[in-house]
Amino acid sequence: MTSGRLALLSVVIAVGTVVAYALLLGVPSVRNHPEGYVAAFAIAATVAGLAVALRRRWYAWLALGLSLLLFAGGAYINFVLARIPAEPTVLRVGERPPDFTLTDASGRQVSLAEYRGKKPVVLVFYRGYW
Amino acid sequence: MSEAERAGVEVVAVSPDRNEQSQRLANGLHVNYRFLADPDLSVTRSYGLIHRRGGPGGVDVPRPATVVLDRDGVVRWLSLSDNYQIRPDPGDVLRAVRTL
Repeated sequence: MTSGRLALLSVVIAVGTVVAYALLLGVPSVRNHPEGYVAAFAIAATVAGLAVALRRRWYAWLALGLSLLLFAGGAYINFVLARIPAEPTVLRVGERPPDFTLTDASGRQVSLAEYRGKKPVVLVFYRGYW
Repeated sequence: MSEAERAGVEVVAVSPDRNEQSQRLANGLHVNYRFLADPDLSVTRSYGLIHRRGGPGGVDVPRPATVVLDRDGVVRWLSLSDNYQIRPDPGDVLRAVRTL
């Protein structure tokens, strides 16, 4: 393969990864493997590296720069920024977590304990919209 | 989730948000969700589910977590996120609910 084609392939892989990840964010198997996009950027960088090795043309360097930038950014997001340090939690399988009372959307006070003996509960803690 | 399961399980969603809008949406979809507001994160903090300085400007935000409690209020299944991009697969939650 020529250097130009390798450079183009690298850009297609890099940009395609960004587009595919954005489009498929709702698919759990994609969303839950963010290391996948880091690996794809690494592949794009390797292909661009081959392009540079073949011919040191500006387009090969451009493809290498782009893919390395995406690789570094993606790795930073996934391995540093998105990491949540583990803190001790009161939740343990087989144990009953402490009761709480909070206000629902209609202003009613709701306790976790009021479901006890009535129905199972899926309790979700989420970050909300900032 | 089937209608019967929807009726048989309560989904309780806790976040720092004021949840009126989310609840309207859930009601519109006829989904049995209850959104609870924990604006100062006191309950979230007491559960140990805080991502310290994880929000914009270094504010504390919840650590995403999904907990399946049986009829007696005992934890039967638990998912704690250590990467905010990752959330439990709804299929796994459903399977945990079905084993109750």
